[in-house]
Amino acid sequence: MVTETNNTKYSKSTRELITTTTIAPKKVTLIVMILSVLSILGIIGIVLKILNGFEDKSAWGYYAATISFLLTTAGAAPMVAIAPTIAKADWVRPITRIASLFSVVGIVTAIASIPLIFALPPLIVDETRRRSIWFEATNYSPHVWFALSIFGLTLCGLGLLYSSSIPDLAAMRDHGTGWRKRLGKSLSRGFIGTDRQWKSLKMRIGMMGTFYFLLLMFVNFLFSVDFALSLVAGWKDAIFPMYHAMTSLQSGIAICILTMFFARKYWGMENYIKIPQFWALSKLQLATTVLWFYFFYSAFIVFWYGRSASDQMVINLLIIGPYLPVFLGAFFLEFFVPWWILVWNPVRKSIPALAIVACLVLIGVLLDRIRIFVISWSTYSNEVIHKKFVPEENFPQFMAPSVADIIVFIGLVSLSALIFILSTRILPLVSVWETHQSLLLTKVVKYVRTHVTAIGKPD
Amino acid sequence: MQQRRKLDQKQINQELLSGNLKTPKWYIPTMIFLGFFVVTGFATILYMFNTGLGVTGLGRPVYWGLFITTFVFWVGISHAGIMISAILRLTQAEWRRPVTRAAELLTVFSLLTALFFPLMHAGRPWRIAYWLLPYDFSRGIWPNIRSPLFWDPIAIGTYLTGSTLFLYVALIPDLAVLRDRTTGWQKVMYTVLALGWRGNPRQWLLQTVAGILLSALMLPIFVSVHSIVSWDFAITPSVEGWHSTIFAPYFVIGAVHSGVSAVVTMMALMRWLWKWNNHIRPEHFDALARLLIVVATAWLGCTFLELIFSVYGREAPEIALREMQIFTWPWNLLFIIFLFTGYIIPVGFWIFKKARNNIVIMFWTSILVNVGMWLERFLIVVPGLARKQPFTFTWEAYTPSLVEWYIMIWSFAWVSFLMLLFARFFPLIPLFETKESQVFTSETKIGRATVPVIYREDD
Amino acid sequence: MVTENKESKFKWGMAVDIDKCTGCQACVLACQSENNIPINTEKNFKNARAIEWIRVERYWEGEFPDVKAKFIPILCQHCDNAPCEPVCPVYATYHTTEGLNVQVYNRCVGTRYCANGCPYLVRFFNYWEPEWPESLKNHLNPDVTVRSRGIMEKCTMCIQRIRRSTRNAKKNGEELKDGDISSACVDACPTDALVFGNQKDENSRVSKMKNDKRSYTLLDNLQTSPNIFYLAKIDHDKEEGTHH
Repeated sequence: MVTETNNTKYSKSTRELITTTTIAPKKVTLIVMILSVLSILGIIGIVLKILNGFEDKSAWGYYAATISFLLTTAGAAPMVAIAPTIAKADWVRPITRIASLFSVVGIVTAIASIPLIFALPPLIVDETRRRSIWFEATNYSPHVWFALSIFGLTLCGLGLLYSSSIPDLAAMRDHGTGWRKRLGKSLSRGFIGTDRQWKSLKMRIGMMGTFYFLLLMFVNFLFSVDFALSLVAGWKDAIFPMYHAMTSLQSGIAICILTMFFARKYWGMENYIKIPQFWALSKLQLATTVLWFYFFYSAFIVFWYGRSASDQMVINLLIIGPYLPVFLGAFFLEFFVPWWILVWNPVRKSIPALAIVACLVLIGVLLDRIRIFVISWSTYSNEVIHKKFVPEENFPQFMAPSVADIIVFIGLVSLSALIFILSTRILPLVSVWETHQSLLLTKVVKYVRTHVTAIGKPD
Repeated sequence: MQQRRKLDQKQINQELLSGNLKTPKWYIPTMIFLGFFVVTGFATILYMFNTGLGVTGLGRPVYWGLFITTFVFWVGISHAGIMISAILRLTQAEWRRPVTRAAELLTVFSLLTALFFPLMHAGRPWRIAYWLLPYDFSRGIWPNIRSPLFWDPIAIGTYLTGSTLFLYVALIPDLAVLRDRTTGWQKVMYTVLALGWRGNPRQWLLQTVAGILLSALMLPIFVSVHSIVSWDFAITPSVEGWHSTIFAPYFVIGAVHSGVSAVVTMMALMRWLWKWNNHIRPEHFDALARLLIVVATAWLGCTFLELIFSVYGREAPEIALREMQIFTWPWNLLFIIFLFTGYIIPVGFWIFKKARNNIVIMFWTSILVNVGMWLERFLIVVPGLARKQPFTFTWEAYTPSLVEWYIMIWSFAWVSFLMLLFARFFPLIPLFETKESQVFTSETKIGRATVPVIYREDD
Repeated sequence: MVTENKESKFKWGMAVDIDKCTGCQACVLACQSENNIPINTEKNFKNARAIEWIRVERYWEGEFPDVKAKFIPILCQHCDNAPCEPVCPVYATYHTTEGLNVQVYNRCVGTRYCANGCPYLVRFFNYWEPEWPESLKNHLNPDVTVRSRGIMEKCTMCIQRIRRSTRNAKKNGEELKDGDISSACVDACPTDALVFGNQKDENSRVSKMKNDKRSYTLLDNLQTSPNIFYLAKIDHDKEEGTHH
C-alpha cells in the first residue's frame, strides 16, 4: 500500500541520490587529480610503445595482458546487473547502476586495444596461412572482426547504460539545476513514467542486456583465440574461450564488490547497498572461484593424459614452464585462497572481508592474464608459427615487465577509474528508479513472533 | 499471471495423497505393460550374459556403441535432480516446489539404470561387478586409479548416495503424514521409515539444515560426475573427435539440458495422471522453459566450439571424421535431426510465451530434446570409433542389433516402472513444500494492482 | 609411461623391412597357428570381428600404368608410452621390464577401453566363445592359453617362445645369442622381412636396422614410442630417404 511514509521515502531517496552527483566527497577530488596525472603518464607510455614499433611481438605481451584484464573485468561487470535482472532477482536492484557504469570503461578498453590490433600478426605469414579459426578468410579477418566486435560491445554497453538510466535522467531534469537540468532534459526524451513508457523501457533493457551478453561471449571468444591461442603453434584447446569468459565473470564480480565497498565508504551509500547484495554476490564469487578450478582442470587432464608432442608442449610451456611462479600466484589467488575464505558464512556477511577477497581475486586474474598473454606473444615468431608444435628450444625466457609496460598498466587502470568516477558526477551510483521499485515492492512485516521481508513478484 | 490458489492443509493432503491411499484405476494396467518390457528386458540381458557380446552389432574398431551411448544418456538425465532441487533451493526460487521430489527421484532411478550399462557391456560382467570395488579382491591387485573407468563408478556411486540421502531427508515429513493416515502393513512401513518424526521445531530445524547442507555439498558432485564420464572419451588421444578439452563442460551443460527437459516431460505426465492441476501449473512450465532456453543456447555454443576446434588443427584424420559425421549418409541425416530436435525446434517454440504455457507443446518439445540429446551422444561415441586412424580396412560401419535396441527400450521401461512403483507408496509432490509455499506466499495490493508476494526471512 | 629398467638385460623389439615384404601373409597364418587364434570365417570379416594379431596392409601408390603396391605388416607395437595401458580399470595390461606390453587374460573383464585407446587397431575382442572343428583341436599349442569369450587379446611377441628360450639358456648356463629367439611370424617370413631381437644388444640385427637411415615408426605424431621399427620401401623412381 502506498502510504505517506513511503512517499517521504521516495522523495528522500531521490534527493539523496541526486545530491551525490553534485557534491563530490572530499577524498574523491584528491583521488581524481592523482588519477589524471597517472592517466596522462599512461598515455605517454602507450605512445612510446607505438613508437618502438610493432615488429617485436614479445614487447606487446604485457600490453595484451593489460587489455585482457580491462576487457574481462570492466567488460564483464555489467553482467552482474544483466543476469540477475533477467532472472528477476530482487536483491540486484541497488547495484545495477554500479555494474552498468562499467560500460563507460569500455570506451577506454576499445580505444586502447587499437595499437594491439595493429600489433597482431596477419593470417598469412611467409606466404603460408597460419592456424586460426578463420580458415580461408581474408588476411586481416581477425583484426577487422575483433575491432568491430569490441566497439560494438562498447556501444551496446553504453546503450544499456543509457536505457537503464532514462528514468534517472528524467529525475535529474525535474530535481537538478544548471547544466545537469539541461542534460537531463535532452537525454531523457520526454520520459514521464507512463505505463507504456515503463513497459517499453523494460523491454529495451531486457533486449540490450541479452545482446550485451551474446556480444561479450563473442568478444571473449575472438580475443582469447586470436590474441593468445592461435599465436602458439600446436595449442589446440577447445575450452580456452570458455575459460577466458569464466575468469572474466569472476573478475567482473570482484570489481563490482570492490566498487560497492567504495560506494558505501566514500559516496555514503550505506542505506542502499546493504548486506543482502554482498551476500548474494559473494555466493556467485565463490561459485566462479570453484569453477575456475573446474575449467582449468578440464583442460589440464586432457593435456596431461595426452601423449602427443603438442599436448605435452602445452603443459610444459603454459603451466610448469618459465612462468611457473606466475601460474602458482594465479592458482592461489584466483582459486585456493578465495575458496577457503569464502566458504565460511560469517566471512560472506562481512563487507571488509569480501572487499579484501575481491582484491585478491583481481590480482589473481591479472597474474593469470599475464601468464597467458605474455607467454603467447613471447612465443610467437614467424619461424615457429607454422610448426606442428613449439619445440622446447623456442620456449621464451621469463620476461619481466618493462617500465613502459608498468606505466601503461597503471595509466590505463587509472584512466578507467577516472572515467568511472567522472561519470558518477552525472549518474548517481545507485539507480533512483530501481530504489523506488524496491521501496514499492518490499516491506518488512510482522509474522507470528518474528519479522520477515515481503517481496512483491509481479510478472 | 500468477495462478496460485489458496488451499488449506486438508485439501492439500487429500489431493497429493490421492495416489497413495488407494490405487488409481490406470495404475495396474500401466504397470503390467511396463512390467512386460522390464521382465523381457532382464531376460534379454541374461541371454546376452549367457551367449556373449556377439549378439550385439559391435565389431572392430567400433567397440562401444548403443550401450555406452545410453549409459551417458542416463547419467545426463540424472542431472535434472540437483539442478532443480539444489540450485533452485539455494537461490530460493519459489516455483521449484512441486517438482523437487520428482526431479530427485528421476536422478536416483536414472543413475541406478545408468550403472547397469557399464556392467552389462563388459565381456565378463560377473568379474567387473566386484573387481571395481576399491579392494584387492584377487591376487592383491587393486583397481587402476589412473583409469577413467574406475573414476566413473566412484563418481556415480557418490552422486547416487548423496541423491538418495537428499531424497530421503526431504521425504521424512511426508512419511509421517502417511503414517498417521494408514493402517496395516503400510502403517508399519511408514512408521519405520518416518524415523519418529513429530514435527516439532527442533526436528524441522535439523531437517532444513540437512537439506541446505546436502544441496551445497551436492553441487560440486553435480558438476564433476558428468565431467568424469566425459573424460572417458576426452583423455583418449587415439580417437578422432574425442580428444578435446571442452568435453567436461559440454557434457554437463548437455546433461542439464536433457535432464531439465526430462523433468518437464515428467511434470506434464504427473499433472495428467494424477490430475494435479492445482499444483503443477502453466507458470512452472513457463519458468522451466525460460531456463531451458538459456541452457540450450549455452549448449549450442559448446557444440559450435567443439566442432570448430576439432578442425582447427587441420589434421587429416580429424577432418575425415567430421566429413563422415556431418556430410555422409546416413550420418548427415542423423546430424540434421540432432540439430533440429536438440535445439532448433524446441527453442523455436519456447521463445513464444503462448507455447511456453501450453502443456501439450511443452510435453512434446521436451521429448524431442531428449531424442536430440541421445543422438548427440551417439554422434560422439560411434563416428569417432568408426573413423579412427587411416589404416586400410579399419573404417567400419556399425548397425546396432535387435538385442541392443531392446535393452535400450528396457532401460526406459525400467526407469518408468521404478518411478511409478515409488509413486504408489510415496507422494511425488512434497506435501510440506506445498504447505510451506502457502505460508511463504501471499498477495498484496499496490495501487490498483494485486501483486503476488513471497516472504523471505531476514538472514 | 615406462622408465628404463637397468636390471633387465633384454629390451625386445622388432624391425620390419617394407622393401622386402611381399604381402604373402605367411606371418598371419603362422601367428594364427602358434597362438590358438580362432578361425576367421568370411562372416567374421563381414562383421568386423576377425582376429589377426598381425595383419598385412596393402597400399596402392601411383597412377596406372605406374601403380605400385606396398605391404606393411602391422602387429602390436609394444609402445613404451602405450595409450592402452593406463586406461584399463583392472590392470589387465601393463608393460614388462623387458619392454613388452602384455595382456593378462584372467584379469581382463572386457571393457574394451584399451582397444579404443590403441591407435594402431591391434587389439581384438572375443565376441563369441571360440570354436574349432574336431579335426583342428589337436593342433592347439599347449604353451598358449585358449581365450574364452569376453576377453581382449593381441600380439604377445610370442612370449611363450621367449620364455622357453630364456629358461633353457639359464638351465644350461648358456648365453643367448642374437637369432636364438624368434616369434612365429619371424620364422615364417620367406623374405626375412621380419627381424626379432634384443635392442640392448648393439650388435643385434634389430639394433642395426633400428639405426638405419630408412627407419621410422608408425604414427609418430602420437608419440607412443613403439618398439617396432619399419624400414621404408626403396622406390627407385623417387629420391632416397623418403618414406610413406
